[in-house]
Amino acid sequence: MFYSVVLLSIFGILNLFLGFLKSRAWLLPVTLLFLATALVVTLTDWNKSLFFWNYMMSTDNVSVAFATIIIVSAMLILPLSRFYFPNAAAPVPEYYAILLFSVVGAILMVTYENIIMLFLGLETLSIAMYILAGSDKRNPRSHEAALKYFLMGAFATGILLFGVAMLYGATGTFNLSGLAQYVRTTLVNGASPMLYLGLTLVLIGILFKLSVAPFHFWTPDVYDGTPTLFTAFMATVVKTAGFAALYKILSVSFTGIYSVWWITLAATSVLTLLIGNITAVYQQSFKRMLAYSSISHAGYLLIAVTAMGQTSQSSILFYSLAYTLATITSFAVLILVNENRAGESFSAFNGLARHNPFLAFALTVAMCSLAGIPLTGGFFGKFYIFINALEKGLLFLLVVAVLMSAVGIYYYFRVVIAMYMRGSDDNAVADRIIVPKSYAAVLAITTFLTILLGVAPDLLVRYF
Amino acid sequence: MADKIFYFLTFLSLISAMLVIFSRNPVHSVLYLILTFFCLSGHYILLNAQFLAAVNIIVYAGAIMVLFLFVIMFLNLREDTEPRKGMAAKLAAVVSGGLLLLIMVAALRTADMSTLNNPASFDSQIGLVENLGRVLFTDFLLPFELASVLFLVAMVGAVMLGKREAGERNF
Amino acid sequence: MELSVFIVKSIIILAVFGVSLLIATYSTWAERKIAAFLQDRPGPNRAGIFGLLQPIADAGKMFFKEDFIPRQANKWLFIAGPSLAMLTACMTSAVVPFGDTVLVNGAEVTVQGIDINIGILYVFGVVSLGVYGVMIGGWASNNKFSLLGAIRAASQNISYELAMGLSIIAILMMSGSLSLRTIVEQQHGMNWNIFFQPVGFIIFLTCAFAECNRTPFDLPECETELIGGYHTEYSSMKLGFYLFAEYINMFVSSAVIAVLYFGGYNYPGMDWVRESLIGGLGLNWGHNLATLVGTMVFFGKIFFFIFFFMWVRWTLPRFRYDQLMNLGWKGLIPLAILNVVLTGAGLLAGTRLLSWVLILGVVLVATIQAGTARKRTVAAGRLSKV
Repeated sequence: MFYSVVLLSIFGILNLFLGFLKSRAWLLPVTLLFLATALVVTLTDWNKSLFFWNYMMSTDNVSVAFATIIIVSAMLILPLSRFYFPNAAAPVPEYYAILLFSVVGAILMVTYENIIMLFLGLETLSIAMYILAGSDKRNPRSHEAALKYFLMGAFATGILLFGVAMLYGATGTFNLSGLAQYVRTTLVNGASPMLYLGLTLVLIGILFKLSVAPFHFWTPDVYDGTPTLFTAFMATVVKTAGFAALYKILSVSFTGIYSVWWITLAATSVLTLLIGNITAVYQQSFKRMLAYSSISHAGYLLIAVTAMGQTSQSSILFYSLAYTLATITSFAVLILVNENRAGESFSAFNGLARHNPFLAFALTVAMCSLAGIPLTGGFFGKFYIFINALEKGLLFLLVVAVLMSAVGIYYYFRVVIAMYMRGSDDNAVADRIIVPKSYAAVLAITTFLTILLGVAPDLLVRYF
Repeated sequence: MADKIFYFLTFLSLISAMLVIFSRNPVHSVLYLILTFFCLSGHYILLNAQFLAAVNIIVYAGAIMVLFLFVIMFLNLREDTEPRKGMAAKLAAVVSGGLLLLIMVAALRTADMSTLNNPASFDSQIGLVENLGRVLFTDFLLPFELASVLFLVAMVGAVMLGKREAGERNF
Repeated sequence: MELSVFIVKSIIILAVFGVSLLIATYSTWAERKIAAFLQDRPGPNRAGIFGLLQPIADAGKMFFKEDFIPRQANKWLFIAGPSLAMLTACMTSAVVPFGDTVLVNGAEVTVQGIDINIGILYVFGVVSLGVYGVMIGGWASNNKFSLLGAIRAASQNISYELAMGLSIIAILMMSGSLSLRTIVEQQHGMNWNIFFQPVGFIIFLTCAFAECNRTPFDLPECETELIGGYHTEYSSMKLGFYLFAEYINMFVSSAVIAVLYFGGYNYPGMDWVRESLIGGLGLNWGHNLATLVGTMVFFGKIFFFIFFFMWVRWTLPRFRYDQLMNLGWKGLIPLAILNVVLTGAGLLAGTRLLSWVLILGVVLVATIQAGTARKRTVAAGRLSKV
């Protein structure tokens, strides 16, 4: 894993140098090749348990799996970059380099063994995202998104660092196992308010980046204003890496004081589920709806973290994968629709099924997966998380989650209804969207994998 | 002697930090913030961390705050253009801030720092530049190097966002 | 600390302070004399013999002029600006080692304000604060020209500080210490850093010019574009402080250049001088006199660099602002980084001379460019004739 981090950093710099080339045709294949190389290097760590550089990083099967999800989702999102560089002056190599660097940050977040590494990873990822959020320089909404994200994110980082300082003050170490040691041995004698305060502040910092209520208020505006390609990246890679990081710090270091933090997480997850799902119902724009839906999915994932147990790691993994695939599909279709029909509202999808049955089908599968309908990956994702909650006895969480899933079905199916039941007003020929090959390939892969996960979840689950 | 200096510096840093918030004029805020950084550097010197003290002055007071001043002077912010907050917002801010303060004081008053406060393992030379460099290049080499990736991202982004594209609107 | 040592130390500190002010005062006279010499005219010669009382006359004039504060100006900051400029200018000389040690009752006292183990960083910290005097003064004047001048000065200072910091990293790599005294002691005799760090010296010198806002980098004040720059609204001794701070800065940067690259108080044959003085006058007097000789040599170097500053001012034209920024960011910073890399490689290979490769490379590139440029102009001339 250490080598994939090094490789990706070098590849990012190489990508910057590729900007000297006159031709842009090579950029995308080369970047994909870089990512594929990193993926292969990452997979060689399978079934190994290693520590790097004085216990700064560690790898195990779960972190390899999370890193794989991150790299694969980057590989799936990159081919969608077709519409984003209309003029020749757009700094495409820089975009790709920043994306590669952000993948470095995400990998650090899933493999860290020291809080300093967590901080570095989080910041590398976040700063890359601030930049990409503001990359559409002609659009004031993109500026707004970047500025909001940056200011809020910097604030959250400050809180996180304050918490880390408190943790260090209480324990004298940045190391996860050192923290665990402290929690196991020293804390037996009594409570340490400083440690609790530090943990709370660190949690706030991480939950903020994950857009969990009540720290979610930046999400809709930022997701909305950011160029859709990068919104897809934010909604998938950042979420996956963030939850892996959250789970890691809690499970490795703080299982000893489960009774202290579980109630906080349970309360925030209920709040997140309620706010995310109910507000999503009122959205008129598909993109904004996806933003709120990403908040609600953070709530489901938070249930798995709260119900920490033997299997919750694999359910987070499964859910992240299913959610990532479905989200990439929906954003890909959204990009196509927005480019061709100039709109992000639900009505822009009217009659899509008649002209583009493939797009409509892919989006329907994605919506089913996000809503948790059987035969899609999302169903089993929710199923495993609910089982976790049951095993831990968190019944009230389960009730809220099931109710909110029902609400979810309502707003996810609005777009399906628009595609299949409503006709478009204009004539049929002009409405047909020509799907570029790269989009078709990505959509085919994500849809296939979503259905595969829904039919045979055991393919993935048996490894963990 | 040293504890008298400590109390004086602490008093000064708290006062100037509060003045950062209470000044109406943004330029005054920035100047008080610079004063705060000086006090923090004084604290570093009391801790025998001279390198950190100097770097704090060079980087924060000498470079970053100058850029702050740049922006604020160019924006020409005046007291009367500052938006007024509603009473409810102010009240909420005071209550939540006060609660946070209460919790912090309660948590830190009884804090047990025995892991750090051990005279046997205390090394007064730990903050000197030689030791700092040694630690950075041995134990913390990986984060130290990866921080450069972080800065590279920020630099690439700054150049990318700052560069004028063809056809871009000039304000 | 013993009382006599304490007294000697206080005298040294006061002397350093007084001497830097005195030298700065007479730099104004020297500047006018040198300008006159270079332009083939007599220069100030009315006040005292050779016009030597001219600086005092100037100071008297400054003090008695009307001290005017514009009504719309921010009064406190308007006063704080020149005070800060003066304060930061005077602070730097505290860490400069002006000489070796003085023997007092068998105790050795260093001829230096204070020897801290991060001396060079202290210098940088104070230099980086020098911007505030200019910026605050410029902003508090409540005048657009002042503000623009202040912004120019600040951006120039920040830009060149980077290259300056990078250029001394090579020195620090060779000496392994941040203390100015250690750096000087390692250049014992003729073992000066200039022979190992020519590129670093050139970059540092250029940046020192820019930091002092001296020609060819005196962009902050420009009659045609900015009226007087940041001190447009200033009059009387407040203006005098700004101008005076510039001369103190010049003195201090000359001293730092001499310390870093020209061996400070070291000179060839210093050991022989010390031995023979001790042999003739005994340990106490001999050692102290040898130190005095070293200090004299050091001041000789400083005077040379002050002269160099003035020489350049009356010889070279100034840069345009974009040229200045291009030189700083695209020229000096990459060059300084290359220098660091080369020095590091050289140290690993066991030589300190690798930095010369960079000089050779630059000279080579410049020659080739000049050659091709001539060919191009010749070709263009032929074309136009055809």
